[in-house]
Amino acid sequence: MLDRCLGARRVRKIHRFFRHAKVTCLCLVMTVVVLRGTIGAGKFGTPEQDFNEIRGHFVHRKRAEPHRVLKEVQSTFDISKIAVDEEPDDFKRDPNTPYTLGPGISDWDEQRGKWLKEHPNFPNFLRPNKPRVLLVTGSSPKPCENPVGDHYLLKSIKNKIDYCRLHGIELFYNMALLDAEMAGFWAKLPLIRKLLLSHPEVEFLWWMDSDAMFTDMAFEVPWERYKDHNFVMHGWDEMIYEQKNWIGLNTGSFLLRNCQWSLDMLDTWAPMGPKGKTRIEAGKLLTKELKDRPVFEADDQSAMVYILASQKEKWADKVYLENSYYLHGYWGILVDRYEEMIENYMPGLGDHRWPLVTHFVGCKPCGKFGDYSVERCFKQMDRAFNFGDNQILQMYGFTHKTLSSRRVKRIRNETSNPLEVKDELGLIHPAFKAVKVSSSHS
Amino acid sequence: MGQENFVTQKRTSSTLPTTTATVNGRASGGRSLPRGRQIQKTFNNIKITILCGFITILVLRGTIGVGNLGTSDATDQSLVEETNRILREIRSDSDPNDPDEAAETEINPNATFTLGPKITNWDQSRKNWLDSNPEFPSYVNGKARILLVTGSPPSPCDNPIGDHYLLKSIKNKIDYCRLHGIEIVYNMAHLDKELAGYWAKLPLIRRLMLSHPEVEWIWWMDSDALFTDMVFEIPASKYEKYNLVIHGYPDLLFNQKSWIAVNTGSFLFRNCQWSLDLLDAWAPMGPKGPIRDEAGKILTANLKGRPAFEADDQSALIYLLISEKDKWVEKVFLENSYYLHGYWAGLVDRYEEMIEKYHPGLGDDRWPFVTHFVGCKPCGSYGDYPVEKCLRSMERAFNFADNQVLKLYGFRHRGLLSPNIKRSRNETATPLVYVNQFDIRRTVHEGSGSQGH
Repeated sequence: MLDRCLGARRVRKIHRFFRHAKVTCLCLVMTVVVLRGTIGAGKFGTPEQDFNEIRGHFVHRKRAEPHRVLKEVQSTFDISKIAVDEEPDDFKRDPNTPYTLGPGISDWDEQRGKWLKEHPNFPNFLRPNKPRVLLVTGSSPKPCENPVGDHYLLKSIKNKIDYCRLHGIELFYNMALLDAEMAGFWAKLPLIRKLLLSHPEVEFLWWMDSDAMFTDMAFEVPWERYKDHNFVMHGWDEMIYEQKNWIGLNTGSFLLRNCQWSLDMLDTWAPMGPKGKTRIEAGKLLTKELKDRPVFEADDQSAMVYILASQKEKWADKVYLENSYYLHGYWGILVDRYEEMIENYMPGLGDHRWPLVTHFVGCKPCGKFGDYSVERCFKQMDRAFNFGDNQILQMYGFTHKTLSSRRVKRIRNETSNPLEVKDELGLIHPAFKAVKVSSSHS
Repeated sequence: MGQENFVTQKRTSSTLPTTTATVNGRASGGRSLPRGRQIQKTFNNIKITILCGFITILVLRGTIGVGNLGTSDATDQSLVEETNRILREIRSDSDPNDPDEAAETEINPNATFTLGPKITNWDQSRKNWLDSNPEFPSYVNGKARILLVTGSPPSPCDNPIGDHYLLKSIKNKIDYCRLHGIEIVYNMAHLDKELAGYWAKLPLIRRLMLSHPEVEWIWWMDSDALFTDMVFEIPASKYEKYNLVIHGYPDLLFNQKSWIAVNTGSFLFRNCQWSLDLLDAWAPMGPKGPIRDEAGKILTANLKGRPAFEADDQSALIYLLISEKDKWVEKVFLENSYYLHGYWAGLVDRYEEMIEKYHPGLGDDRWPFVTHFVGCKPCGSYGDYPVEKCLRSMERAFNFADNQVLKLYGFRHRGLLSPNIKRSRNETATPLVYVNQFDIRRTVHEGSGSQGH
């Protein structure tokens, strides 16, 4: 009937057109499918993603297998039965106002100086080159998702207790989230500020991550080296100021002086932290500006690199990037060498020969498994712990049987004259723990 | 391609009615195609369909990888097994790297157990040492140097939540000790194979006493005991004439001979010869095996209310104090004017009442110094009380104490069961006003200063 309207030839042309069009469409579809399969089409996904989705839909219980192991073990007790919020949090920040850590303080040095004069029994220096130091660390108030995570947190805090006892450092273990907006790695900022302001007698605040352990019990931080600096981090000047490398420094273990400069630094540091859009946008900026940074939300370490690199004139003269000893030591290059260190060196060096701190970056012992394999992480954490613990146990005449063993053995027999025996490292009564002999300060 | 044929066919059929269809010579012709042609066409179609199907599968396989369907189960399973194995290994007490394990299990029951070579002149040795080492005095700022000793087993708890409460417990102790200038030793090593379990504290205390002559008092505290009064300070001046301070009741001890007359979960030992002698007299009931079992029977027979089980350090101490009363009791202070050890059951439900009526610093029934979760055993697989009640109570005690610490910082918990906090005070630009008001150390130090050196 169509040809009656248009003429037979026309009809044939139209039909041919449609035939060609169908073929073209078909080929187009095929091309898109193949391309999607190979190079992916971004938001529209890939066949592999589709497949996983479909598989997930129908076979979802299989997905949970690896995590079921963890859940099974924890099913003996459900923590949600007892962790109950009985009161609401009334404090809500107005999202339109910019984030601040607290009301601005501009005269902290004066306030603090006055307070120290009025309280001579809380001096900020215990001896001429020995400032009062507060080591701050912490973990979540909720049990770890990983059934052995809390055990490793316990070992880690024991390790810190031992070091701090030997070196006359006070310890603060935080289990409170002071500001919900600054959750995650940013939680240390409001905490540090709060502690600086509440403890004017503290001269240096030493933040240390919960996954970092002391492996040199005899090494004393060279405090006099930092008398003209306010912020000490492990890192390299070239990597920050020239390369802007996001791992040019590490904020897992650092020293911060209690002064106005530090409060200003914290205020400059904080704005990239608030959870949500701010943190995500800041993350994009940091990935763009810093070398080798992967794409993820803003973290405190990258933010610090960015601040130092972009505002060098303002901050750099008071920042000391320490690399002559391992104020932070990346575990990957250290843990396999412990036996070699024991054979060749002695504690007290603090550097690559006998690291002060072994930091298990990326292991995440408390959460679900992190960037490295379970076996390697936990086994190496045991070794690092024992490596440090041996230095404590040798004071009392014991040592671990091997670096992987929990058991201890005697290395020195009991004697009826215990005071004549000196421990090899001189850690029982070390010089850095001595009390000032003159009583003018008490 | 098949489509094209189809189109062609359609075209053919649509052009059939007209007689002028001459474009496709093949398609023109009669009304119906010859049979052979039809069959050929069908085969063509099938061929092309199969070809297309084949190509589709190839393409899909290349992209999604259909072959993985078969192996995914296997990888998941192996992952599960690997995780299981590692967790089991971490949590087991056995040591794959321990060659001496088998050889050391032999104990000679005939040899008398000793904690170490006998020392008889410790008081003099210690005094000499202190005199020659004035930079390690036994009194700092007018206060006697105290060393708090606690500990837990080296392996993860059977119940994972147990480790979490061990962590909270040590944080609680860290807070108290920071506020009161006390050092902590956290022990995770079995120093003596024979004295395992609750007896492990004996060799540890002895070892620490002998290594640290500058320490005046050694304060043993169980891992399941929490500080609940952060302000209260031990009145050390009260104990000048005593060497052992332990929570207990004279009536229960001497008259009733009850096995819970004292509590060895929290006590103080002076660093002196007398203490070494007491430890030596205390230890013999401890060695694992037949000695401990036999001793358990003796204790059950002699102490009121004691169930039948192997000898524990508490019962043994009670027995020692009763049977050798003249030798020891003169120097033992049975403290019950404050809760050096506070049995949890009668205390935890009253925290709200305490908050309302009283204040920290009392240390006694009104605001207990220590809340001790006897019998809860959160680390083991089973305790004497229901798990939920125990853990809920421990959480409350922890938060009750933590509120006292957080007060300085202007926070408190959202309820005694909540791990989350809320502000109790707004931030200010002059924080030192609150520091002077709320810092516990201010009250403690000023108080002790006025008592004089």
